[in-house]
Amino acid sequence: MLQLVADGLVVGSVIALGAVGLTLTYSILRFANFGQGEFMTWGAYFAVSTLAFVLAVTGGGVMEPLGPFSFGWQLIVAMLLAAALTAILALVVDWLLFRRLRRGNAITLVIASFGAALALRNLVQFLYGTLPEYYSREIQIAIRLVPRDVMGGLRVTPDQMLVIGLTLVLMLALQWLLTRTTLGRAMRATAMNPALARVAGVDVEGVIRATWVIGAALAAIAGVFVGITLQIRPMLGFDLLLPLFAAAILGGIGSVRGAVVGGYIVGLAESLSVPLVGAEYRAATAFAVLIGILLLRPNGLFGARA
Amino acid sequence: MTAALEMAAIEGGYEPGLPILRGASLSVAPGEIVALLGPNGAGKSTLVKAAAGLVPVWSGRVMLGGRDITGLAAHRMVHEGLGFVPQTENVFANLSVLENLQLASALVARKRRLDLGRMFELFPDLDRQRKLEAGRLSGGQRQMLAVARALVASPSVLMLDEPSAGLSPKLVGVVFERLKAVRDTGVTILLVEQNVKAALAIADRAVVLVEGRERLEGPAAELVNDPRMAALYLGAAA
Amino acid sequence: MEILPVLNYLAFFMVFAGIFAVMALGLNLQWGFTGLFNVGVAGFVAVGAYASAILTGPPEPERFGGFGLPILVGWLGAMLLSGVAAFVVAVAALRLREDYLAITTFGIAVVIQLVATNAQGLTGGPFGIQSIPRPFVEALGTGFVWNLAYLGLVALVLGLAWWALERLVASPWGRVLRAIREDELAAASLGKRAAAFRLQSFVIGCMLMGLAGALYAHFVGYIAPEDFLPILTFQIWAMLIVGGSGNNAGAVLGAFLVWAIWSVSGNLIREVLPAAEQARGAALQVVLIGVMIAAILVLRPRGILGERATVSRHAGKD
Ligand SMILES: Nc1ncnc2c1ncn2[C@@H]1O[C@H](COP(=O)(O)OP(=O)(O)O)[C@@H](O)[C@H]1O
Ligand SMILES: [Mg+2]
Repeated sequence: MLQLVADGLVVGSVIALGAVGLTLTYSILRFANFGQGEFMTWGAYFAVSTLAFVLAVTGGGVMEPLGPFSFGWQLIVAMLLAAALTAILALVVDWLLFRRLRRGNAITLVIASFGAALALRNLVQFLYGTLPEYYSREIQIAIRLVPRDVMGGLRVTPDQMLVIGLTLVLMLALQWLLTRTTLGRAMRATAMNPALARVAGVDVEGVIRATWVIGAALAAIAGVFVGITLQIRPMLGFDLLLPLFAAAILGGIGSVRGAVVGGYIVGLAESLSVPLVGAEYRAATAFAVLIGILLLRPNGLFGARA
Repeated sequence: MTAALEMAAIEGGYEPGLPILRGASLSVAPGEIVALLGPNGAGKSTLVKAAAGLVPVWSGRVMLGGRDITGLAAHRMVHEGLGFVPQTENVFANLSVLENLQLASALVARKRRLDLGRMFELFPDLDRQRKLEAGRLSGGQRQMLAVARALVASPSVLMLDEPSAGLSPKLVGVVFERLKAVRDTGVTILLVEQNVKAALAIADRAVVLVEGRERLEGPAAELVNDPRMAALYLGAAA
Repeated sequence: MEILPVLNYLAFFMVFAGIFAVMALGLNLQWGFTGLFNVGVAGFVAVGAYASAILTGPPEPERFGGFGLPILVGWLGAMLLSGVAAFVVAVAALRLREDYLAITTFGIAVVIQLVATNAQGLTGGPFGIQSIPRPFVEALGTGFVWNLAYLGLVALVLGLAWWALERLVASPWGRVLRAIREDELAAASLGKRAAAFRLQSFVIGCMLMGLAGALYAHFVGYIAPEDFLPILTFQIWAMLIVGGSGNNAGAVLGAFLVWAIWSVSGNLIREVLPAAEQARGAALQVVLIGVMIAAILVLRPRGILGERATVSRHAGKD
């Protein structure tokens, strides 16, 4: 039981990071981006390449684990580089595709994101192949936090704890950005009323670019987290897409705080449902959550405005 | 003397081939309050939105203090010194009163920024509601905030679209008094209004727009009793 | 070169193109005529295919079904079941924002894929269902003649679907659909009735997809989860967008054209690339489809044929 909760929190962190990007692009660009999952995949694979690059540059080509973790500082650098590259990728896709369709109907953007996701996913497969990859082959020793006879016990690896901790730090940083900086206020203003934002002097195209950068960077970091705690596969992001949508809608689409809470709820629901429905149907849980929320509270748990 | 704001033979609209503005012209002298009047659907809102960069201008010119600003992106207009208060949804409802003003202030160059403290002096009601979400303000306070938001960027010309809409007659009086106070600080005002009487009471001059063209203009005091006014309004209604 | 294998391949190609065309017609009713965005095409196709296979197949000890019913019953069952699945989705998502339907249909396709892969007792799991009966096979054998006969059958179904859709779209029902799609005011004034119209359109479209799934199952003779991956959804979308949505002729033309591009590029990859690189080549082929969808949206948003001129001037805005 405890173990399932802990696993759910790790998955929930990844979902929360991805769902925040989804909800941001939804509220500012006004469309459901089916490509969000691919930014996770690309982030994870970019980090494979940037890690190789960092290791080559710093000499030796080997990564000494940092303290209790399975990886060294090089992976942190690689992750930041991957986040930057993924942000650039998002800007390029926007420039090539979405920017040209913004004047039309929002659903055209959804279809376009669908096509872009397909192309991006298979491009990864083309470039990196389909075999799973890992950042580190180090075996990690899980720390036993709760003995086995208390609620089934709890063992957590340092990597997993780091993922949860970093996610919370990132979310606090994002919250600070949105409420305390001019960029954040401009983003919230644009989400509320783009025409008024322009009249007030907001460069809306600039805000859109910032939104892509933030959303894609968070997705990339989430992708790297999947790579650290599980493995890196071309379907990594696609398989998370349904949980991302479920989390974003659960939290009330457009609400950053809601997406974080929604992410953890979906992560926990998935994890806790495993003993009930079996691991193979784990992904269906997100769908059940989604249908439930659409039927009962379509504006999400925290969404007040219709 | 150069006009503070001049629109010359503006043609434009929302969809290609469907002109709403058909050669509209008007001019506002520095320090003036000009009322832009006309029947419903005449294109008054469209004209000010076109000047603000929200509606495409197909031909004609918009000059601000002698500089050609035709076709500039809407967010650049603010930096040029043209302020605009739309008719509805004119505050960021999800931001607090203070954040509304902070945002507007942060977006313009430092030397343009008006001190937020002075703004709160001008609108004491807002001072008491700094932390409140703008969406929860009363109608009159919301209108004040919308004006304050535009003023923070210290515009040389301020365009307002029906600031009296939805307000009680008493509140209309209060808002218009504030507008006069704003004008007295040196801001030129173009005021779109349905409320002809109230508008003519504070305006120096008025322009009447019908079907996307100006049809009548003159000093406000003279237009109040001009029979042609009624004819234009009725003619459009018939 | 012998002529028979070429003809046989051609018949094969045409059967598949025809089946895709039925799916594209269903999607066209939803998207082209009603503006409903369905990202779960593969799921509804799978429901139809499995339903018909289970209803008509021979009994198997390990698996539910194998009722050995007539094939026509299987096809009707396929339509019925995919219609029911569509109804469930529509009730949850149709009254909400339009992109919620996209997300929900995406979700149901994922779940259907999970069921197909894991519910061994129903779907045969990863190995799927074998020995699905093929019509007339006793009389015609499995050669070229049978392919040709099946092609006739597919053409008949496609023709019927076309005819029915054209009638539907031209009827008052179809005019209301377009009014709802183009004019939010009209939709709002119809209120609950508008929702009912959209639901009907969505369900009928999905029933066509289910029927196409059944056509596929009884042609190939066996089905497995990997026949209904999201790539199928993308292909149908590419067909509709290339041909021009809102136009049945466009949907059918797009089906044949995209399937031709797909087949030719697939053959090319098999010929040109060494065995070890085939998987990567296939990935590149999918990239091509994705880029094609995106490029057409940007460069030629109405597709090759575009919407028929009977529709009002708002058509291009969708
Ligand atoms: N966003 C819009 N899109 C298309 N047409 C519009 C839009 N807004 C206004 N119109 C049309 O432009 C014309 C003028 O409207 P408007 O400028 O609002 O008039 P006024 O402010 O004088 O009442 C009207 O016919 C109206 O239907
Ligand atoms: Mg107006």
